[in-house]
Amino acid sequence: MSGKSPIDEKLATVVYHIDKEPHIIVKKELCAGCEKKPCLICPAECYQRGEEEALTFNHEGCLECGTCRLVCPRGAVDWSYPKKGSGVSYRFG
Amino acid sequence: MNKVQCIVVGAGPAGSACAYSLARKGIETVLVERGRVPGEKNIASFVLIPAVLKHLIPDYRDSAPLERTVTEFPVLQLGRNDFFKVQGRFYGWQEKPLVFTAFRSRFDAWFAGKAEEAGAHLAAGMTVTGLIIDGGKVIGIRVGEEELYADVVVGADGAHSLLAEKAGLVSPLDTRQTHLAVKEVLDLPAGAIEERFQLGSGEGCCIHGMGCYPVDDIGGFYTMYTNKDSIGLAAMGTVSLLAEKGAKMQERLAMLKDHPYIRALIKGSTTREYQAHLLSYGGRVEMKNVYSHGFLLCGEAGGFVDSFKIGVPTGMLTGMMAAETIELAVKKKDFSAKTLKRYRDYLRSTPLPDIVSKTKKYNAYYVKKGIGRIPGYSRTVAKVFEEIPKDRFDYISKERYSFVNLVYEGIIIDFIPRYVRWASYPFAKAITLMIVIMKKIKTGRSVYEWKKPD
Repeated sequence: MSGKSPIDEKLATVVYHIDKEPHIIVKKELCAGCEKKPCLICPAECYQRGEEEALTFNHEGCLECGTCRLVCPRGAVDWSYPKKGSGVSYRFG
Repeated sequence: MNKVQCIVVGAGPAGSACAYSLARKGIETVLVERGRVPGEKNIASFVLIPAVLKHLIPDYRDSAPLERTVTEFPVLQLGRNDFFKVQGRFYGWQEKPLVFTAFRSRFDAWFAGKAEEAGAHLAAGMTVTGLIIDGGKVIGIRVGEEELYADVVVGADGAHSLLAEKAGLVSPLDTRQTHLAVKEVLDLPAGAIEERFQLGSGEGCCIHGMGCYPVDDIGGFYTMYTNKDSIGLAAMGTVSLLAEKGAKMQERLAMLKDHPYIRALIKGSTTREYQAHLLSYGGRVEMKNVYSHGFLLCGEAGGFVDSFKIGVPTGMLTGMMAAETIELAVKKKDFSAKTLKRYRDYLRSTPLPDIVSKTKKYNAYYVKKGIGRIPGYSRTVAKVFEEIPKDRFDYISKERYSFVNLVYEGIIIDFIPRYVRWASYPFAKAITLMIVIMKKIKTGRSVYEWKKPD
């Protein structure tokens, strides 16, 4: 075992200019009662089920597809594009 | 106050085509792009059709970063442990190219560079955070704290257009009308690609499949195409179905890679890059809403993507038309919706609105019937095809090829049993592409050709 999950291996191939300020803000208080959590379909797996079913979110692997904003049933995802040229940078898009 | 004549937001094919055309008309244009370099946020899911590009930049082949000329279009239907394939090949394509593969990250940068050469100002690394609206009229943009004013703003910021939302022209994207695409670019030496896909040097192959393993339950499709020394393998699924099932596209892509047929083609390759993007069906903008006071929508932001989700030529065409409209508005010194309405007239002089509305119609049909969701999927699709097949070929042009009717009605309806007719979609898709090419070769005219109305 390399210790890396498949998604980490995939995301390791992507170049990012990471902005410390997240471009997505998840209002976690709204997520508390959400059972289905459709945001878990995120292709970069930025959304994870943490302890006690609570949602964890990390913007650093975000591929900026916008899926989470579309699927969230509670409007908990405050989504914008990263600022000042930060975020994902595809070399072979 | 910082004021220019025109601001174009988004340096993709639509935005750059618009800025390029405007700059050539001598209109002061700022092209704003959120990536550090144009194209770095974009991914190609399919291929590049230069139908419109060749009118804008006739010698594009000399300098554009193109990968391979596509000569082969197999349609591949996968089963879990089997497949069937319909293959089309055109030998004259090296001389009369119709379709290329290219990296959008490089192509968009090149195209925006052309707009810059023509005189547009490129402002990269700038994320537009808002529109400045005064009395219902768009008069500029906000980039963080900074403000930039203009007579007219063109929104060409893609499928997930936040600008169109801010201008109040669209509803939020409908998850049933949106696909999520994930793609891997796989390294493979040019020699191995040419051997495995039976290609000559510089020739390319573009495989696509729809509604079959491993994306059958999520209303999905996949494409696989060859670059110079890499393969792009992409899988798409409908967002609403993914959310409903909790299915992950990255897992479907892994299943695709693990299929015996695909596995043999990509054997020994390593992943160069992993990518994800949204694709719209053009379902969120009404044709009456593609313009407003001081504001126009181009490309995917305006829902201009055709029924095969081909967006580059349609985007460029709408960009060119927006530029024509703005030229008219500049002459009249009137940037109200009344003048900009001309944009819609220009659009209507082409088959484009027709294509877009049909795309919506089919999609609404698919959504309503819940394709991909219910048992008996193939039977339902067969039914859909019974009701809509004839319209489908209007894509080509209003004057239909009798050949198409012959193929469709003569072969597919008469000879293929109903339960396998669902597979006719990719077949029809391949045939349509072939027809487009044959029509082009025969008449020298392309589907995207546009004549300015008098």
